[in-house]
Amino acid sequence: MSQAYRESLYLFALTQSLHLVAVTTFFGAILIGDLRLLGWGPVAQSRAGIARSAQSVLLWAGLAVLVTGIPQFTTHALTYQRSPIFVFKMCLLAAALAFTATLRQRVAAADEGRLPSWVPRAVGAVSLALWMGVTISGRLITFFG
Amino acid sequence: MPSIVPALEWLEGLAWTTAIRESVWGYPMIETAHVASIVAFAGLVIMMDLRLVGLAFTHAPLAQIQRRLFPWQIAGLVPSTATGLLLCCIDPMRYYGNVFFRVKLVLLALAGLNALAFHLKTYRRAERWDEDPQATATARLAGAVSLLLWSATIVSGRLIAYNWFK
Repeated sequence: MSQAYRESLYLFALTQSLHLVAVTTFFGAILIGDLRLLGWGPVAQSRAGIARSAQSVLLWAGLAVLVTGIPQFTTHALTYQRSPIFVFKMCLLAAALAFTATLRQRVAAADEGRLPSWVPRAVGAVSLALWMGVTISGRLITFFG
Repeated sequence: MPSIVPALEWLEGLAWTTAIRESVWGYPMIETAHVASIVAFAGLVIMMDLRLVGLAFTHAPLAQIQRRLFPWQIAGLVPSTATGLLLCCIDPMRYYGNVFFRVKLVLLALAGLNALAFHLKTYRRAERWDEDPQATATARLAGAVSLLLWSATIVSGRLIAYNWFK
């Protein structure tokens, strides 16, 4: 193995590991928001309060996910684009991002009691399902790429 | 000192562990469940730690956030541990010989001890956490150490897949 290849393998592994830490942080911020939407977790805090706090974490963690995700993609671009699981993950990611930026954002920011109680619960459940789906399909790329 | 290798080899030889190890779906499913539960568990731990170091959720009283998040953290810890133990049973010799697995166990123990130390302290002074500067300093340290240890644990866990050192 040439020195350059060995070094790039270490770099790839490190990037992949940091990607996982960033994903975990991102998901934690989603989860604390979704728990609140579902009426669990830190219920003494308003949905909007939790959402506001979680937002900067989401943005920073999201940036880290991107920064650590792109090098992985560019290293294996040819393999990934032929992988149905990777394509599926990207579609699910797009759906999750769109949902989070629009509907979930609006519901979380709405004043308590303005919406029928099933709405924030449904939004929280859908959000969890989407983001857990992204996480799981991300993991499955390695197995079924 | 007695070796645990015979016990591990016995585990490896069992019919059900062999069946899962040799199946196409068995290992991927259990490993994916392991990763998914860890992401949920550690994600909430990281949120708590961000509050401790004062980087997020600062509008909320510390004791309140901790009290409400704790049950969910435990809820995530149970499947994480169960799937982890299962993975060890299925392929014990592989993990036994893996340096990153051993490092991960050490980091996990340290993270657990840090969490335990923090819990023993918070429950004694829960109400005063946000006013007491001494408590705040302790909280920041516990949070920073926790962030470091759990991140390192995740990295170490990911690196298990790479058999660089034999």
